Amino acid sequence: MIFSRFVSSPRPTALSLNTSCFTGLQRRLAAALALMALTLLGSLPAQALTVTDARGSFTIDHVPQRVVALENSFVDALAAVRVSPVGVADDNQPERLLPEVREATGPWQSVGTRSQPSLEMIAALKPDLIIADTSRHAGVYNELRKIAPTLMLQSRRETYADNLKSAAIIGEVVGKKAEMQARLQHHQALMASYARQLPQGKVVQFAVARENTLYLHTPDSYAGGVIQSLGLKVPSVSATDQQESRQISLEQMLAINPDYLVVGTYAGNSIVQQWQTEPLWQALTAVQNNHVYTVDGNAWVRSLGILAAEHMGADLVRIFTQP
Amino acid sequence: MSDLTCPSRHRQLTLSPLQQRVWLLAGLLLIAIIANLCLGAVDLTLTQVWQGLSAEGEQYFTVHEYRLPRIALAIGVGAMLATAGVLVQGVIRNPLASPDILGVSQGAGLAAVSLMTLWPHASIQLLPWAALAGGFSAAVLLWLVCGSKAPPIRMALTGVALAALYSSTIDFLLLTRPLDINNALLWLTGSLWGRGWQQLYTLLPWLILLPAALWLSHRLNLMGLGDDSATCLGVRAPRVRLLALALAVGLTSAAVSLCGPISFLGLVSPHLARQLVGGRHQRLLPVAMLVGAVLLLIADLVARIIHPPIELPAGIMTALIGAPYFLWLLLKLR
Repeated sequence: MIFSRFVSSPRPTALSLNTSCFTGLQRRLAAALALMALTLLGSLPAQALTVTDARGSFTIDHVPQRVVALENSFVDALAAVRVSPVGVADDNQPERLLPEVREATGPWQSVGTRSQPSLEMIAALKPDLIIADTSRHAGVYNELRKIAPTLMLQSRRETYADNLKSAAIIGEVVGKKAEMQARLQHHQALMASYARQLPQGKVVQFAVARENTLYLHTPDSYAGGVIQSLGLKVPSVSATDQQESRQISLEQMLAINPDYLVVGTYAGNSIVQQWQTEPLWQALTAVQNNHVYTVDGNAWVRSLGILAAEHMGADLVRIFTQP
Repeated sequence: MSDLTCPSRHRQLTLSPLQQRVWLLAGLLLIAIIANLCLGAVDLTLTQVWQGLSAEGEQYFTVHEYRLPRIALAIGVGAMLATAGVLVQGVIRNPLASPDILGVSQGAGLAAVSLMTLWPHASIQLLPWAALAGGFSAAVLLWLVCGSKAPPIRMALTGVALAALYSSTIDFLLLTRPLDINNALLWLTGSLWGRGWQQLYTLLPWLILLPAALWLSHRLNLMGLGDDSATCLGVRAPRVRLLALALAVGLTSAAVSLCGPISFLGLVSPHLARQLVGGRHQRLLPVAMLVGAVLLLIADLVARIIHPPIELPAGIMTALIGAPYFLWLLLKLR
């Protein structure tokens, strides 16, 4: 009602243009009211926003203020535009998310494990947007939909390029399209600057070491995608099928024989410690040239997203520039 | 003098120990239902629960959409698995028998895991139907291998062998496709998470098998005397055996297709019920249904309140209850 006065205000007549009729105070008051009207217009519910998600199209008619994210990559995207989620499915281990992500979002309420989040906890938080993973939560989409509009995106086993697209979708849905685009451009520039500091064309293999197994990440994996985007090469494991993650033995590692081996570890023992005692280990090129490096498994495998990719790029620069 | 005037009324007022135990069990079921409605990651008072039942209530989702169908499903599935256990134990005449020896749960598990690992992009709605088909196929295979006239012990041994075959095929699938292992392992543990009204409506038609099992009570009592005695007393042993096992297969397949293979319910509930009311099936079957329902409700409650907001699968809790009981049983039998 208040802005209708200004929208349908009478056209200026010769009389009203006579500024001496208005005192300075009245002019300031008019300016303040005009400003208020403009901000009110700006915060009116926007037209319904439609994006394409994993289920097809997703429509939302308000700017979400309370977001619940059910996977790490979604929290990363929210952190990139400094949106604070009210609830995150963090397996009750918030330390698994990157420190830079946690610092950007602030604290949140845990809603349980990523594979079986507590729906009643999510409902208790009264969200107005839920971001869920198609591979894990497709079965409970109907239940989630009853709580709040649910955006379903691919998260597990997403490639680097697709992850950036998902981040853009998330940015748009939370009403920060411009900020997300700017952040993505900043990200491209940062990764390009990392690429300039790295020797191009070197063969880098990233693998995840657990106590009894070593899993290689192929060019189709997230880590493989990030490494390739920085101008390095990732060896292909098999000619026929490229699963993103593949368990290998020491002999198979010798057959691949990368120039650089980056091993992601978690807390506890790693199989690499065992392999280091084997004579075959010394036959690897990477071992002979002292090019075996250790990185944090959490940051390289469990975190997918803009901040994670920048963390990985920084790790690689540190590896290649150290003497 | 005074008790000569009203002896019969005095007799009617006191319950026999057996009736007392059944009423206690019914009371326990009621307590379990109320506890499940009130407790969880978010604790609610009784008034909040009552308000949550109406669509405008604040806790509508938690009470009406999340906990209420889950409780009803737990009662249904618990009763079905317990009844299947009673039927199988009655037919095989072995107190250590359970529906697992028919290979039905493992067959259903194999079908579900195959769907999840070989066709990971298939719709999630297909999963219960695949598990149901798997369970029935396993039963049909058992029948083809054994024949309907086989003695119970032969049926049990063949069932165990086939179950081992299905389990090892499941392990093979999981080992060769480790990336899809997460969803498959979660399903194989058996859980009530994410099951709502839709799953309850799918279960409802199968509940008709419960009164069908009660209808067989008298004949099952006679089967307990042995095939020869039962035949002399007018029971067609092979037919009753087939019918009882068919009912057990139907009940187990339906339960497993919706909630995954929940362990130990089919083994422990008949035992507990027998301890309470004895072996006559007219009493044993209803009490076993009550016991199964109570056990699954308690297991689901503990799984939800032990470390909120983490929700453990109910199958883990039934195993935690069932395994020590099973060991105690074995020690007692020695």
